[in-house]
Amino acid sequence: MTTASREPQVAFDNVSYWYPERAEPALADVEWTVPEGAFVVVAGPSGSGKSTLLRCLNGLVPHFAGGRFGGRVRVGGLDTRRHGPRALSRSVGFVFQDPESQLITNRVEDELAFGMEQLGVAPLTMRKRVEEVLDLLGIAPLRGRDVATLSGGERQRVAVAAALAVQPALLALDEPTSQLDPWGAEEVLTALTRLNDDLGLTVVLAEHRLERVVGHADRLRLLPVPDSTDGVLDGPPRDVLAAMDPTMVPPLVSLARRLGWTPPPLSIKEGRDRLRRDQSDPAPPPPDPSPPGGSPSVEFRNVTLGYGRRAVLRDLDLEARPGELIALMGRNGSGKTTLLRTVIGLHRPSAGQIAVCDRDATRLAPADLARDVGYVPQNPGALLFAETLRAELAFTLKHHLGQGLDPDAVLASLGLTHAAERHPRDLSGGERERAALAAVLVAAPRVLLLDEPTRGMDAARKRALGETLVRLRADGTTILLATHDVELVAGIATRVVLLGDGELVADGPPRAVLSGSLTFATQINKLYGGRFLTVDDVLAGLAVADPRR
Amino acid sequence: MTDRPVRLEPRAWLLWGLAAGVPPLVGRNPFVLGATLLAVLAVRTVWVGGGDTAAEAPNAGAWRAVVRLAVLFAAIGVVFNVLTVHAGDRVFARIPDGVWIVGGPLTLNALVYGVLSGLAILILVLVGTTLGAVVDGVALLRLLPARLATVAVAGSVAWAFVPQTAAAFGEIREAQAARGFRPRGLRDLLPLVVPLLTNGLERALTLAEALESRGFGAVGPAGHDLQRVGTPSPKPETQSSLAVRDQWPAMLTALGLTGGAVGAYLLAVGQPRPAVLTLGAAACALGFAARASRATVARRTRYRPHRWTRADRLVAAASAILLIIELTVLRLDPSGFRYEPYPSLAAPRVNLLLLAALALLLAPVIASRVDPKTDPAVATVLPPTLGGRGGQS
Repeated sequence: MTTASREPQVAFDNVSYWYPERAEPALADVEWTVPEGAFVVVAGPSGSGKSTLLRCLNGLVPHFAGGRFGGRVRVGGLDTRRHGPRALSRSVGFVFQDPESQLITNRVEDELAFGMEQLGVAPLTMRKRVEEVLDLLGIAPLRGRDVATLSGGERQRVAVAAALAVQPALLALDEPTSQLDPWGAEEVLTALTRLNDDLGLTVVLAEHRLERVVGHADRLRLLPVPDSTDGVLDGPPRDVLAAMDPTMVPPLVSLARRLGWTPPPLSIKEGRDRLRRDQSDPAPPPPDPSPPGGSPSVEFRNVTLGYGRRAVLRDLDLEARPGELIALMGRNGSGKTTLLRTVIGLHRPSAGQIAVCDRDATRLAPADLARDVGYVPQNPGALLFAETLRAELAFTLKHHLGQGLDPDAVLASLGLTHAAERHPRDLSGGERERAALAAVLVAAPRVLLLDEPTRGMDAARKRALGETLVRLRADGTTILLATHDVELVAGIATRVVLLGDGELVADGPPRAVLSGSLTFATQINKLYGGRFLTVDDVLAGLAVADPRR
Repeated sequence: MTDRPVRLEPRAWLLWGLAAGVPPLVGRNPFVLGATLLAVLAVRTVWVGGGDTAAEAPNAGAWRAVVRLAVLFAAIGVVFNVLTVHAGDRVFARIPDGVWIVGGPLTLNALVYGVLSGLAILILVLVGTTLGAVVDGVALLRLLPARLATVAVAGSVAWAFVPQTAAAFGEIREAQAARGFRPRGLRDLLPLVVPLLTNGLERALTLAEALESRGFGAVGPAGHDLQRVGTPSPKPETQSSLAVRDQWPAMLTALGLTGGAVGAYLLAVGQPRPAVLTLGAAACALGFAARASRATVARRTRYRPHRWTRADRLVAAASAILLIIELTVLRLDPSGFRYEPYPSLAAPRVNLLLLAALALLLAPVIASRVDPKTDPAVATVLPPTLGGRGGQS
């Protein structure tokens, strides 16, 4: 870590903040310093105030958000009470979570130049910096593109590049990689590390998936669950990880803690060193259970979508049976979402047959297919409209002629009983995702399609969702889950289908597809190799090999 | 680089649009309208294209839908005109008088008038949609003077917001359909409209935050940010009266725009009320001026200001010459533009000079053939060290 010789880059002095019309403070008596040139990760469950904390850095809180603000924040020597976000835009770059709505102009190059234009940077300097950030984030091929045609990952890299073009001293990023595929996320994080190392850029990054970022960070600040008595943990990542709630830590750290490795390794490389000194040799995991039988509820036969070189799905064969939880994986744009949408009839194949619950899906309207199929789109906000969550469920039931499950039971099973009478829009991000799921599940679909349900979810909520899905699968629902989340897939999926450019690349049990993969291996698999995927695999293997443990 | 379409200077396109818009606006001479239509269609084919060349104009599909709608309306207009206007000397059929409204003689005059009116509207729509597809709206807004830069950015953001909203609507419709929802009546629109509004508001809020954090409207280190510090939030009454005082230029602008739109509509339907149009324009200008004079001038620079290329100059010059000819003809021989099929059908007048001049509308077709690589104006846009990277093509 760079030792700060001067005033720290960021200094919070007894900061408290209340959003307008809220009695509970979003921040209470926060003391925090970020040294110049540090790479700080801010973690914590949804609703713990990560976004609020970050928005204090460039004065969006309180200048944009309103409300009551007490104490003092100094950023680069400037008091944020005195200098609002516009004035601070010179020294603080900000990247938001949502790639859809944070780009301002409609061309990539204009977007990169926007901030500099506002600050009156000389045109020649501007040209040079645009070229630099294009290369820095690897987006030079996108320079002339219309923003509307970019994928989420591309947009997010443009957003980071645009923030960097102003050459701020501090870059604040609010979960910038939560919607990216692992490679897109890695590229953004690598770029950040390079900027931090080489140029001394101070980086403050809010992130759920600690396994991706702790290796890069100098400091980790863990915010407690709201309404809990726990305090904030702030310090070097190793110390914080050793002290934090065991269910929140990355698999590698979780394993280290179970096996009593101190200090916990932060990277796979460190883990391997530790493993060499460890004499234990876990027994390999048991063979995969045989797949469930029965007639398939979703059947793709030679399905092609689109034409010629622009085909989105090519000659795809896929069968999904009741009781299967199939994870669809592959990079952004590999056809995962398209495949899900084809099952519910939102896309028509140009060739091939699709049978869904013994009906010809190529001839039925989505509303007809909805009798058997439930679809939770990537953005749950597209679904929710009613005044209360209960009304939302009643609406679905009405369109299924009243056939379905008891709404209260569905809400209870998803842990939403407390929210039944609340407006769906007032729910937190994770709750909203579950609300959309409840609105779909209440019709008791035989096939459930989920598109990236865990994006932006914290570890606890992700685990709860995983448990719900496992229960549904055990009850005989066919689940197709498009996701990038390798650890989640390793924990709950019965099958993994890997798509590449609309073609089926691999199809098999998670152990067969994920283990040994360069990009899809879990942390535990990278460490132990073989067919180990999860912490539980290793612990069970150790128990077999050495019953005393 | 293939993904970087060659674009003409928006001002050149605007001149072209003006020149092409004059004939349908001022008269219904079939020869003039026909020549204009052909020229506009030719330009459209080259610049907007169909199918594969859509890379030229990313939103060409949306514009095509507008054109289809215009054709439909024009057709309905023809039928309506024939059925309801019973004037003229060439009767070709008769509907019994007893039939309500449509009863009476059907005349060829009414048919001709309807067809020519439809043609005029179609040309206007074609010109408008062509401009919409080829002119970069953002580039156009950037032409506004620096004092109006905030207006320009607000406008360009709004420009980007429209297709986003359309896409969001599609997403919501599909999500609800996948839930078994079939909209049957107006009341059923609620599940579609509510998420659209709430999502739209959320997106607007994020965008506003992004604008704020990227220094939009920054006025230097000591701007009005300073005054807000520590002052207790004003009482609601004070706030609203403040708002009125601050916002009158904006209101004046809005009023002016409304007046201008009404004036333009009246002009388009053939009942020009220059007073409304002028008043609207004046109110707009006054509003803008008031805003500009109040805005603290921010030091702002422009990335890649557009340079006039040979193609730009060609289109602008041809359009300007045509405009001059058109205005001259309008002054000296207005019947060259006009044609009246009532009360009796007669052959329309032919103004050969005007018809020949309309060929100038084809300038963009020729401009599309100009190779930008050989253009000295393009070469100077890039500093030599960066020129090899293919930033311009």
